[in-house]
Amino acid sequence: MEVIKTDFILNTVRRMENDQSKEFSFGDKKSLVEKLAIAFINPKDFDKLNLSSKPNLKISSNFGIIIVKGIADEDVPEGTVLMPISIWSNQITGVENSELRYKNMRVDVDITEEKINDLNSLINKIKEA
Amino acid sequence: MKRSVCSGCSLLCDDIMVKSDGIYIDEVFGACLKGKEKFDQVTSQNRILSPLIRKDDTLQKASWDEALQRTVDLIKKSKKPLIYGLSNSSCEAQLKGIELAKLINGFIDSNASICQGKVLDNAVNSGITLTTITEIINKADLILLWGSNAAESIPRLLNKVLFSRGKFRMTGREIKTLIIIDPVKTASFNTMGVRDVALRITPGKDIELIKVLKEECCAADSIPSEGVAGLDKDDMKRLLQHLSGAEYGVIFVGQGLLTPQKNSNLINELLELVQMINIKQERGRITLAMMGGHFNMNGFDHVALSMYGKRGNLHFKDNQILETDENIISKIENEDFDCSIFIGTDPISHFPMSLSSKLAKKPIILIDNRNSATLQLASIVLPTTITGIECSGLAYRLDHIPIELKKIINPPSKIPTDEEILNQIIQKLKSDGGN
Ligand code: SF4
Repeated sequence: MEVIKTDFILNTVRRMENDQSKEFSFGDKKSLVEKLAIAFINPKDFDKLNLSSKPNLKISSNFGIIIVKGIADEDVPEGTVLMPISIWSNQITGVENSELRYKNMRVDVDITEEKINDLNSLINKIKEA
Repeated sequence: MKRSVCSGCSLLCDDIMVKSDGIYIDEVFGACLKGKEKFDQVTSQNRILSPLIRKDDTLQKASWDEALQRTVDLIKKSKKPLIYGLSNSSCEAQLKGIELAKLINGFIDSNASICQGKVLDNAVNSGITLTTITEIINKADLILLWGSNAAESIPRLLNKVLFSRGKFRMTGREIKTLIIIDPVKTASFNTMGVRDVALRITPGKDIELIKVLKEECCAADSIPSEGVAGLDKDDMKRLLQHLSGAEYGVIFVGQGLLTPQKNSNLINELLELVQMINIKQERGRITLAMMGGHFNMNGFDHVALSMYGKRGNLHFKDNQILETDENIISKIENEDFDCSIFIGTDPISHFPMSLSSKLAKKPIILIDNRNSATLQLASIVLPTTITGIECSGLAYRLDHIPIELKKIINPPSKIPTDEEILNQIIQKLKSDGGN
Protein backbone atom coordinates (compact mmCIF):
# COMPACT_ATOMS: atom_id res chain seq x y z
CA MET A 1 0.00 0.00 0.00
CA GLU A 2 1.25 3.48 -0.84
CA VAL A 3 2.35 5.44 2.22
CA ILE A 4 1.77 9.17 1.96
CA LYS A 5 4.45 11.00 3.90
CA THR A 6 4.90 14.73 4.18
CA ASP A 7 7.37 17.03 5.91
CA PHE A 8 5.72 19.49 8.29
CA ILE A 9 6.79 22.04 10.88
CA LEU A 10 5.42 21.29 14.33
CA ASN A 11 4.30 24.12 16.56
CA THR A 12 2.85 23.59 20.03
CA VAL A 13 0.56 26.26 21.48
CA ARG A 14 -1.69 27.08 24.41
CA ARG A 15 -5.37 27.36 23.50
CA MET A 16 -8.19 27.96 25.94
CA GLU A 17 -10.35 25.35 24.21
CA ASN A 18 -7.58 22.76 24.43
CA ASP A 19 -6.13 23.38 27.86
CA GLN A 20 -4.58 20.45 29.64
CA SER A 21 -4.87 21.86 33.19
CA LYS A 22 -8.57 22.55 32.58
CA GLU A 23 -9.17 18.99 31.38
CA PHE A 24 -7.28 17.53 34.35
CA SER A 25 -9.42 19.67 36.70
CA PHE A 26 -12.84 19.36 35.12
CA GLY A 27 -12.69 16.62 32.50
CA ASP A 28 -12.07 12.89 32.38
CA LYS A 29 -9.85 10.49 30.44
CA LYS A 30 -12.16 10.72 27.42
CA SER A 31 -12.23 14.51 27.30
CA LEU A 32 -8.44 14.64 27.75
CA VAL A 33 -8.08 12.63 24.54
CA GLU A 34 -10.78 14.62 22.70
CA LYS A 35 -9.30 17.99 23.59
CA LEU A 36 -5.58 17.24 23.57
CA ALA A 37 -4.77 14.21 21.42
CA ILE A 38 -5.35 16.32 18.31
CA ALA A 39 -3.38 18.18 15.67
CA PHE A 40 -4.59 21.04 13.48
CA ILE A 41 -3.51 21.28 9.86
CA ASN A 42 -4.48 23.48 6.94
CA PRO A 43 -7.49 22.15 4.93
CA LYS A 44 -5.26 21.91 1.82
CA ASP A 45 -2.85 19.63 3.70
CA PHE A 46 -5.88 17.76 5.06
CA ASP A 47 -6.94 17.02 1.48
CA LYS A 48 -3.40 16.30 0.28
CA LEU A 49 -2.96 13.73 3.01
CA ASN A 50 -6.39 12.33 2.16
CA LEU A 51 -7.15 12.44 5.85
CA SER A 52 -10.82 11.72 5.35
CA SER A 53 -9.83 8.21 4.19
CA LYS A 54 -8.11 7.29 7.46
CA PRO A 55 -9.02 8.86 10.75
CA ASN A 56 -5.74 9.64 12.45
CA LEU A 57 -2.34 11.26 12.06
CA LYS A 58 0.93 9.64 12.97
CA ILE A 59 3.41 12.42 13.71
CA SER A 60 7.09 11.50 14.03
CA SER A 61 9.98 13.72 15.07
CA ASN A 62 13.60 12.99 15.95
CA PHE A 63 12.37 12.56 19.51
CA GLY A 64 9.36 10.28 19.19
CA ILE A 65 6.05 9.29 17.62
CA ILE A 66 2.45 10.08 18.55
CA ILE A 67 -0.93 9.13 17.07
CA VAL A 68 -3.55 11.88 17.26
CA LYS A 69 -6.72 12.97 15.52
CA GLY A 70 -6.18 15.38 12.60
CA ILE A 71 -8.43 18.42 12.36
CA ALA A 72 -8.59 20.85 9.42
CA ASP A 73 -8.12 24.50 10.44
CA GLU A 74 -7.72 27.26 7.88
CA ASP A 75 -5.93 29.49 10.42
CA VAL A 76 -2.96 27.10 10.40
CA PRO A 77 -0.47 27.80 7.59
CA GLU A 78 0.14 25.12 4.99
CA GLY A 79 2.99 22.82 5.97
CA THR A 80 2.46 23.43 9.68
CA VAL A 81 1.03 21.04 12.21
CA LEU A 82 -0.26 22.70 15.35
CA MET A 83 -0.74 20.82 18.61
CA PRO A 84 -2.00 22.01 21.98
CA ILE A 85 0.74 21.80 24.61
CA SER A 86 0.14 18.58 26.49
CA ILE A 87 1.53 15.19 27.36
CA TRP A 88 0.59 14.16 23.79
CA SER A 89 2.59 16.87 22.04
CA ASN A 90 5.47 16.28 24.44
CA GLN A 91 5.92 12.75 23.11
CA ILE A 92 7.51 14.35 20.04
CA THR A 93 9.23 17.41 21.54
CA GLY A 94 12.72 17.13 22.96
CA VAL A 95 15.85 18.67 24.40
CA GLU A 96 18.86 20.07 22.53
CA ASN A 97 21.83 21.67 24.31
CA SER A 98 19.87 21.60 27.56
CA GLU A 99 17.09 23.72 26.01
CA LEU A 100 13.55 22.58 25.35
CA ARG A 101 12.59 22.15 21.68
CA TYR A 102 8.84 22.44 21.42
CA LYS A 103 8.30 24.76 18.48
CA ASN A 104 9.34 25.01 14.86
CA MET A 105 10.51 21.41 14.65
CA ARG A 106 10.53 19.36 11.49
CA VAL A 107 8.20 16.35 11.70
CA ASP A 108 6.89 13.67 9.36
CA VAL A 109 3.13 13.28 9.16
CA ASP A 110 1.38 10.13 7.89
CA ILE A 111 -2.24 9.11 7.95
CA THR A 112 -2.93 5.96 9.91
CA GLU A 113 -5.59 3.61 11.17
CA GLU A 114 -3.63 3.03 14.36
CA LYS A 115 -5.45 3.92 17.57
CA ILE A 116 -4.95 7.26 19.29
CA ASN A 117 -2.78 6.96 22.39
CA ASP A 118 -4.82 7.39 25.57
CA LEU A 119 -3.46 8.85 28.81
CA ASN A 120 -2.82 5.45 30.43
CA SER A 121 -0.79 4.23 27.48
CA LEU A 122 1.34 7.39 27.58
CA ILE A 123 1.90 7.10 31.33
CA ASN A 124 2.92 3.45 30.88
CA LYS A 125 5.25 4.42 28.05
CA ILE A 126 6.89 7.05 30.26
CA LYS A 127 7.20 4.56 33.13
CA GLU A 128 8.73 1.87 30.95
CA ALA A 129 11.04 4.04 28.83
CA MET B 1 -19.59 41.77 47.51
CA LYS B 2 -15.82 42.21 47.86
CA ARG B 3 -13.17 43.35 45.42
CA SER B 4 -10.61 40.59 44.88
CA VAL B 5 -7.58 39.72 42.82
CA CYS B 6 -7.86 36.90 40.28
CA SER B 7 -4.98 34.41 40.30
CA GLY B 8 -6.03 32.87 36.98
CA CYS B 9 -2.95 34.23 35.20
CA SER B 10 -0.04 36.61 35.63
CA LEU B 11 -2.14 39.71 34.91
CA LEU B 12 -3.54 39.38 38.46
CA CYS B 13 -6.64 41.50 37.69
CA ASP B 14 -7.53 43.39 40.86
CA ASP B 15 -11.00 44.49 39.74
CA ILE B 16 -12.85 41.22 40.29
CA MET B 17 -15.98 41.33 42.46
CA VAL B 18 -16.72 38.20 44.48
CA LYS B 19 -19.91 37.45 46.37
CA SER B 20 -19.14 35.05 49.19
CA ASP B 21 -20.16 34.24 52.77
CA GLY B 22 -16.61 33.12 53.57
CA ILE B 23 -17.57 29.46 53.16
CA TYR B 24 -18.81 29.30 49.57
CA ILE B 25 -18.26 31.51 46.55
CA ASP B 26 -21.69 32.47 45.19
CA GLU B 27 -20.77 34.62 42.22
CA VAL B 28 -17.74 36.08 40.48
CA PHE B 29 -18.08 39.25 38.40
CA GLY B 30 -15.56 40.75 36.01
CA ALA B 31 -13.27 37.76 35.51
CA CYS B 32 -12.64 36.28 32.07
CA LEU B 33 -13.42 32.65 31.28
CA LYS B 34 -9.99 31.55 32.42
CA GLY B 35 -10.41 33.48 35.68
CA LYS B 36 -13.86 31.96 36.27
CA GLU B 37 -12.34 28.50 35.78
CA LYS B 38 -9.80 29.29 38.47
CA PHE B 39 -12.60 30.05 40.93
CA ASP B 40 -14.44 26.88 39.79
CA GLN B 41 -11.41 24.82 40.75
CA VAL B 42 -12.49 25.15 44.39
CA THR B 43 -15.26 22.62 43.74
CA SER B 44 -13.71 20.81 40.79
CA GLN B 45 -14.68 17.13 40.63
CA ASN B 46 -11.05 16.04 40.30
CA ARG B 47 -9.67 18.08 43.16
CA ILE B 48 -7.31 16.29 45.52
CA LEU B 49 -8.63 16.56 49.05
CA SER B 50 -6.65 13.94 50.92
CA PRO B 51 -2.95 13.00 51.09
CA LEU B 52 -2.13 10.00 48.89
CA ILE B 53 0.64 7.44 49.18
CA ARG B 54 1.60 4.93 46.52
CA LYS B 55 1.23 1.33 47.79
CA ASP B 56 1.32 -1.71 45.47
CA ASP B 57 1.55 0.68 42.52
CA THR B 58 -1.69 2.50 43.33
CA LEU B 59 -2.23 5.79 45.11
CA GLN B 60 -4.12 5.26 48.36
CA LYS B 61 -5.55 7.74 50.83
CA ALA B 62 -3.38 8.34 53.88
CA SER B 63 -3.42 10.47 57.01
CA TRP B 64 -1.44 13.72 57.03
CA ASP B 65 0.90 12.28 59.70
CA GLU B 66 1.69 9.22 57.60
CA ALA B 67 2.11 11.20 54.37
CA LEU B 68 4.40 13.77 55.99
CA GLN B 69 6.46 11.04 57.66
CA ARG B 70 6.86 9.23 54.31
CA THR B 71 7.83 12.53 52.67
CA VAL B 72 10.49 13.23 55.27
CA ASP B 73 11.78 9.63 55.07
CA LEU B 74 12.16 9.94 51.29
CA ILE B 75 13.93 13.29 51.57
CA LYS B 76 16.28 11.98 54.27
CA LYS B 77 17.33 9.14 51.99
CA SER B 78 17.97 11.51 49.10
CA LYS B 79 21.45 12.86 48.37
CA LYS B 80 20.45 15.02 45.38
CA PRO B 81 16.89 16.29 45.76
CA LEU B 82 15.30 18.53 43.13
CA ILE B 83 12.62 21.09 43.96
CA TYR B 84 10.75 22.59 41.02
CA GLY B 85 7.59 24.57 40.26
CA LEU B 86 6.30 27.24 42.65
CA SER B 87 5.01 29.61 39.93
CA ASN B 88 1.49 28.89 41.17
CA SER B 89 2.47 29.56 44.78
CA SER B 90 2.82 32.72 46.83
CA CYS B 91 6.21 34.35 47.43
CA GLU B 92 5.92 33.21 51.06
CA ALA B 93 5.78 29.57 49.83
CA GLN B 94 8.67 30.24 47.43
CA LEU B 95 10.70 31.48 50.39
CA LYS B 96 9.94 28.25 52.28
CA GLY B 97 10.87 26.23 49.20
CA ILE B 98 14.30 27.86 49.15
CA GLU B 99 14.66 27.30 52.91
CA LEU B 100 13.90 23.60 52.36
CA ALA B 101 16.36 23.37 49.44
CA LYS B 102 19.09 24.85 51.64
CA LEU B 103 18.31 22.50 54.53
CA ILE B 104 18.39 19.37 52.35
CA ASN B 105 21.27 20.51 50.08
CA GLY B 106 19.06 20.40 47.04
CA PHE B 107 18.61 22.18 43.73
CA ILE B 108 15.61 24.48 43.37
CA ASP B 109 14.15 26.34 40.44
CA SER B 110 10.83 27.70 39.25
CA ASN B 111 8.96 27.35 35.94
CA ALA B 112 10.15 30.87 35.03
CA SER B 113 13.67 29.72 34.16
CA ILE B 114 12.45 27.82 31.10
CA CYS B 115 10.07 30.60 30.06
CA GLN B 116 10.29 34.35 30.52
CA GLY B 117 13.32 34.23 32.82
CA LYS B 118 15.55 34.01 29.73
CA VAL B 119 14.30 37.36 28.42
CA LEU B 120 14.76 39.04 31.75
CA ASP B 121 18.40 37.93 32.03
CA ASN B 122 19.19 39.26 28.56
CA ALA B 123 17.20 42.49 29.00
CA VAL B 124 18.99 43.29 32.25
CA ASN B 125 22.37 42.65 30.63
CA SER B 126 21.54 44.86 27.64
CA GLY B 127 20.18 47.68 29.80
CA ILE B 128 16.74 47.70 28.18
CA THR B 129 14.03 48.72 30.59
CA LEU B 130 10.80 46.81 30.92
CA THR B 131 7.51 48.59 31.25
CA THR B 132 4.45 48.30 33.48
CA ILE B 133 0.78 47.80 32.65
CA THR B 134 -0.04 51.29 33.98
CA GLU B 135 2.59 52.88 31.74
CA ILE B 136 1.20 51.01 28.75
CA ILE B 137 -2.39 52.08 29.54
CA ASN B 138 -1.33 55.68 30.00
CA LYS B 139 1.18 56.09 27.20
CA ALA B 140 1.27 53.36 24.58
CA ASP B 141 0.26 54.15 21.00
CA LEU B 142 1.75 50.96 19.54
CA ILE B 143 1.30 47.40 20.82
CA LEU B 144 3.17 44.58 19.15
CA LEU B 145 2.33 40.98 20.04
CA TRP B 146 5.27 38.93 18.85
CA GLY B 147 4.76 35.17 19.09
CA SER B 148 2.21 35.75 21.81
CA ASN B 149 -1.48 34.95 21.73
CA ALA B 150 -2.60 37.35 24.44
CA ALA B 151 -6.30 36.80 23.79
CA GLU B 152 -6.01 33.22 25.04
CA SER B 153 -3.05 33.19 27.41
CA ILE B 154 -3.81 36.45 29.27
CA PRO B 155 -7.38 37.08 28.17
CA ARG B 156 -7.97 40.56 29.63
CA LEU B 157 -4.58 41.99 28.65
CA LEU B 158 -5.80 43.56 25.42
CA ASN B 159 -8.90 44.99 27.16
CA LYS B 160 -6.57 46.77 29.53
CA VAL B 161 -3.82 47.95 27.23
CA LEU B 162 -5.53 48.33 23.87
CA PHE B 163 -9.15 49.23 24.53
CA SER B 164 -8.51 51.44 27.56
CA ARG B 165 -8.14 55.21 27.75
CA GLY B 166 -5.06 56.34 29.63
CA LYS B 167 -3.84 59.62 31.04
CA PHE B 168 -1.98 60.62 27.88
CA ARG B 169 -4.09 58.52 25.55
CA MET B 170 -7.59 59.86 26.12
CA THR B 171 -8.58 58.85 22.63
CA GLY B 172 -7.96 55.20 23.47
CA ARG B 173 -8.20 52.44 20.87
CA GLU B 174 -8.64 54.84 17.92
CA ILE B 175 -5.05 56.03 18.06
CA LYS B 176 -3.47 52.76 19.18
CA THR B 177 -1.98 50.48 16.56
CA LEU B 178 -1.86 46.75 17.12
CA ILE B 179 0.71 44.67 15.26
CA ILE B 180 0.74 40.89 15.52
CA ILE B 181 3.63 38.77 14.25
CA ASP B 182 2.68 35.12 14.35
CA PRO B 183 2.66 32.21 11.89
CA VAL B 184 -0.77 31.11 13.08
CA LYS B 185 -3.91 33.25 12.87
CA THR B 186 -4.58 33.11 16.61
CA ALA B 187 -7.63 34.44 18.47
CA SER B 188 -5.71 37.70 19.06
CA PHE B 189 -6.08 38.50 15.34
CA ASN B 190 -9.84 38.89 15.95
CA THR B 191 -9.17 42.12 17.86
CA MET B 192 -7.54 43.80 14.85
CA GLY B 193 -8.98 46.85 13.11
CA VAL B 194 -8.32 48.34 9.70
CA ARG B 195 -5.27 50.35 10.82
CA ASP B 196 -3.62 47.40 12.48
CA VAL B 197 -0.94 45.21 10.93
CA ALA B 198 -1.21 41.41 10.78
CA LEU B 199 2.05 39.71 9.85
CA ARG B 200 1.78 35.96 9.27
CA ILE B 201 5.44 35.06 9.38
CA THR B 202 6.83 31.73 8.17
CA PRO B 203 7.27 29.45 11.22
CA GLY B 204 10.74 29.66 12.75
CA LYS B 205 11.86 32.61 10.61
CA ASP B 206 11.63 35.35 13.26
CA ILE B 207 15.40 35.49 13.47
CA GLU B 208 15.67 36.28 9.74
CA LEU B 209 13.13 39.07 10.06
CA ILE B 210 14.94 40.61 13.03
CA LYS B 211 18.31 40.47 11.28
CA VAL B 212 17.00 42.20 8.15
CA LEU B 213 15.23 44.86 10.22
CA LYS B 214 18.53 45.50 12.02
CA GLU B 215 20.30 45.89 8.68
CA GLU B 216 17.57 48.26 7.50
CA CYS B 217 18.09 50.35 10.65
CA CYS B 218 21.76 50.75 9.69
CA ALA B 219 21.33 51.22 5.95
CA ALA B 220 18.03 51.95 4.21
CA ASP B 221 17.00 49.63 1.37
CA SER B 222 18.55 46.55 2.93
CA ILE B 223 15.27 44.64 2.69
CA PRO B 224 15.39 42.23 -0.27
CA SER B 225 12.75 42.97 -2.91
CA GLU B 226 11.19 39.53 -2.43
CA GLY B 227 10.82 40.15 1.32
CA VAL B 228 11.90 37.87 4.14
CA ALA B 229 10.33 35.16 6.27
CA GLY B 230 7.13 35.05 4.25
CA LEU B 231 6.53 38.81 4.64
CA ASP B 232 6.71 41.18 1.70
CA LYS B 233 8.96 44.21 1.56
CA ASP B 234 6.15 46.73 2.06
CA ASP B 235 4.92 44.95 5.20
CA MET B 236 8.42 45.03 6.63
CA LYS B 237 8.83 48.73 5.84
CA ARG B 238 5.47 49.43 7.46
CA LEU B 239 6.53 47.47 10.54
CA LEU B 240 9.74 49.45 10.87
CA GLN B 241 7.93 52.76 10.29
CA HIS B 242 5.50 51.96 13.09
CA LEU B 243 8.30 50.93 15.42
CA SER B 244 10.45 53.97 14.77
CA GLY B 245 7.51 56.39 14.67
CA ALA B 246 5.74 55.33 17.86
CA GLU B 247 5.67 57.68 20.82
CA TYR B 248 5.51 54.74 23.18
CA GLY B 249 5.62 51.27 21.70
CA VAL B 250 5.51 47.99 23.59
CA ILE B 251 6.61 44.59 22.34
CA PHE B 252 4.93 41.74 24.21
CA VAL B 253 7.34 38.83 23.95
CA GLY B 254 5.58 35.48 23.83
CA GLN B 255 6.57 31.83 23.89
CA GLY B 256 6.92 31.90 20.12
CA LEU B 257 10.09 33.97 20.50
CA LEU B 258 11.62 31.85 23.24
CA THR B 259 12.36 28.83 21.09
CA PRO B 260 16.11 28.17 20.99
CA GLN B 261 17.72 28.75 17.58
CA LYS B 262 20.83 27.14 16.20
CA ASN B 263 23.82 29.54 16.19
CA SER B 264 21.93 32.62 17.32
CA ASN B 265 20.22 34.05 20.35
CA LEU B 266 16.85 35.29 19.18
CA ILE B 267 16.16 37.32 22.30
CA ASN B 268 19.53 39.09 22.12
CA GLU B 269 18.92 39.89 18.46
CA LEU B 270 15.50 41.34 19.33
CA LEU B 271 16.98 43.40 22.15
CA GLU B 272 19.64 44.76 19.79
CA LEU B 273 16.92 45.68 17.29
CA VAL B 274 15.02 47.54 20.01
CA GLN B 275 18.20 49.41 20.99
CA MET B 276 18.83 50.38 17.36
CA ILE B 277 15.27 51.60 16.88
CA ASN B 278 15.44 53.59 20.10
CA ILE B 279 18.61 55.32 18.89
CA LYS B 280 16.81 56.24 15.64
CA GLN B 281 13.62 57.22 17.45
CA GLU B 282 12.89 60.91 17.44
CA ARG B 283 9.54 60.99 19.16
CA GLY B 284 9.56 58.25 21.73
CA ARG B 285 10.80 54.78 22.50
CA ILE B 286 10.10 51.08 22.29
CA THR B 287 10.01 48.97 25.40
CA LEU B 288 9.37 45.32 26.26
CA ALA B 289 6.88 43.42 28.36
CA MET B 290 6.72 39.71 29.04
CA MET B 291 3.85 37.30 29.05
CA GLY B 292 4.33 34.82 31.91
CA GLY B 293 1.55 32.28 32.21
CA HIS B 294 1.31 31.15 35.84
CA PHE B 295 0.09 33.81 38.22
CA ASN B 296 3.35 34.15 40.17
CA MET B 297 5.82 33.31 37.41
CA ASN B 298 7.88 36.35 38.41
CA GLY B 299 7.78 35.89 42.17
CA PHE B 300 10.57 33.33 42.43
CA ASP B 301 12.98 35.71 40.64
CA HIS B 302 12.37 38.37 43.26
CA VAL B 303 12.58 36.01 46.22
CA ALA B 304 15.74 34.27 44.95
CA LEU B 305 17.37 37.60 43.99
CA SER B 306 16.68 39.13 47.36
CA MET B 307 18.14 36.12 49.19
CA TYR B 308 21.02 34.97 46.99
CA GLY B 309 21.45 37.56 44.23
CA LYS B 310 20.45 34.96 41.63
CA ARG B 311 17.24 34.72 39.68
CA GLY B 312 16.90 30.94 39.73
CA ASN B 313 18.87 27.67 39.56
CA LEU B 314 19.79 27.71 43.24
CA HIS B 315 22.05 24.81 44.16
CA PHE B 316 22.96 24.20 47.79
CA LYS B 317 25.80 22.17 49.27
CA ASP B 318 26.79 22.11 52.95
CA ASN B 319 23.86 24.50 53.37
CA GLN B 320 25.65 27.10 51.24
CA ILE B 321 24.79 28.33 47.75
CA LEU B 322 27.00 26.92 44.98
CA GLU B 323 27.96 28.62 41.74
CA THR B 324 26.52 26.45 38.99
CA ASP B 325 25.72 26.53 35.28
CA GLU B 326 23.21 23.73 35.74
CA ASN B 327 19.54 24.30 35.11
CA ILE B 328 16.49 22.16 35.70
CA ILE B 329 16.74 20.68 32.20
CA SER B 330 20.40 19.68 32.47
CA LYS B 331 19.82 18.28 35.96
CA ILE B 332 17.08 15.96 34.69
CA GLU B 333 18.83 15.19 31.43
CA ASN B 334 22.00 14.11 33.26
CA GLU B 335 19.93 12.28 35.89
CA ASP B 336 21.71 14.35 38.49
CA PHE B 337 18.96 13.87 41.09
CA ASP B 338 17.56 11.00 43.12
CA CYS B 339 14.21 12.40 44.26
CA SER B 340 12.03 15.30 43.13
CA ILE B 341 9.57 17.57 44.90
CA PHE B 342 7.13 19.37 42.58
CA ILE B 343 4.98 22.21 43.82
CA GLY B 344 1.95 23.32 41.79
CA THR B 345 3.27 22.03 38.50
CA ASP B 346 2.91 19.06 36.15
CA PRO B 347 6.35 18.33 34.65
CA ILE B 348 5.39 14.84 33.47
CA SER B 349 3.02 16.57 31.03
CA HIS B 350 5.00 19.72 30.39
CA PHE B 351 8.43 18.27 29.73
CA PRO B 352 9.39 16.20 26.69
CA MET B 353 9.18 12.43 27.07
CA SER B 354 13.01 12.16 27.30
CA LEU B 355 12.87 14.14 30.55
CA SER B 356 9.58 12.87 31.98
CA SER B 357 10.76 9.26 31.65
CA LYS B 358 13.85 10.14 33.72
CA LEU B 359 11.72 11.85 36.35
CA ALA B 360 9.48 8.78 36.52
CA LYS B 361 12.41 6.56 37.52
CA LYS B 362 12.98 8.38 40.83
CA PRO B 363 10.52 9.04 43.68
CA ILE B 364 8.24 12.04 43.12
CA ILE B 365 6.68 14.06 45.94
CA LEU B 366 3.86 16.22 44.58
CA ILE B 367 2.37 19.21 46.39
CA ASP B 368 -0.65 20.35 44.36
CA ASN B 369 -4.39 20.83 44.39
CA ARG B 370 -5.35 19.24 41.12
CA ASN B 371 -5.13 16.08 39.12
CA SER B 372 -2.25 15.82 36.64
CA ALA B 373 -0.05 13.36 34.77
CA THR B 374 2.59 13.89 37.47
CA LEU B 375 0.06 12.69 40.05
CA GLN B 376 -0.26 9.40 38.13
CA LEU B 377 3.44 8.74 38.79
CA ALA B 378 3.93 10.37 42.19
CA SER B 379 5.01 8.37 45.24
CA ILE B 380 3.38 10.83 47.63
CA VAL B 381 0.75 13.52 46.97
CA LEU B 382 0.14 16.32 49.46
CA PRO B 383 -2.99 18.35 48.64
CA THR B 384 -2.85 22.08 49.03
CA THR B 385 -5.02 25.21 49.01
CA ILE B 386 -5.69 27.45 46.01
CA THR B 387 -3.66 30.62 46.58
CA GLY B 388 -5.65 33.82 46.19
CA ILE B 389 -8.94 32.07 47.00
CA GLU B 390 -8.31 29.84 50.00
CA CYS B 391 -5.19 31.53 51.32
CA SER B 392 -3.51 34.90 51.04
CA GLY B 393 0.00 35.72 49.86
CA LEU B 394 2.17 37.97 47.74
CA ALA B 395 2.58 37.55 43.98
CA TYR B 396 4.37 39.55 41.29
CA ARG B 397 2.30 40.58 38.28
CA LEU B 398 3.67 40.06 34.74
CA ASP B 399 5.17 43.57 34.90
CA HIS B 400 6.90 42.77 38.22
CA ILE B 401 4.52 44.83 40.37
CA PRO B 402 3.86 43.10 43.73
CA ILE B 403 0.17 42.36 44.34
CA GLU B 404 -1.30 41.12 47.62
CA LEU B 405 -3.69 38.20 47.21
CA LYS B 406 -6.40 37.82 49.85
CA LYS B 407 -8.12 34.75 51.23
CA ILE B 408 -11.82 34.63 50.28
CA ILE B 409 -12.99 31.31 51.72
CA ASN B 410 -11.68 28.56 54.01
CA PRO B 411 -10.14 25.57 52.22
CA PRO B 412 -12.03 22.26 52.27
CA SER B 413 -11.00 19.56 54.75
CA LYS B 414 -8.63 22.00 56.51
CA ILE B 415 -6.10 21.56 53.72
CA PRO B 416 -2.85 23.46 54.48
CA THR B 417 -1.22 26.03 52.20
CA ASP B 418 1.94 25.34 50.16
CA GLU B 419 3.83 27.44 52.69
CA GLU B 420 2.46 25.46 55.64
CA ILE B 421 3.22 22.09 54.02
CA LEU B 422 6.80 23.12 53.21
CA ASN B 423 7.20 24.47 56.75
CA GLN B 424 5.89 21.23 58.24
CA ILE B 425 8.42 19.26 56.18
CA ILE B 426 11.22 21.59 57.33
CA GLN B 427 10.20 21.34 61.00
CA LYS B 428 9.88 17.56 60.82
CA LEU B 429 13.28 17.22 59.16
CA LYS B 430 14.81 19.39 61.88
CA SER B 431 13.14 17.53 64.71
CA ASP B 432 14.17 14.19 63.18
CA GLY B 433 17.79 15.34 63.19
CA GLY B 434 18.18 16.96 59.76
CA ASN B 435 18.85 15.45 56.37
S1 SF4 C 1 -6.94 37.97 32.60
FE1 SF4 C 1 -5.99 36.56 34.02
S2 SF4 C 1 -6.08 37.58 36.02
FE2 SF4 C 1 -7.51 38.67 34.64
S3 SF4 C 1 -9.48 37.71 35.02
FE3 SF4 C 1 -8.56 36.61 33.30
S4 SF4 C 1 -7.45 34.89 34.24
FE4 SF4 C 1 -7.93 36.34 35.87
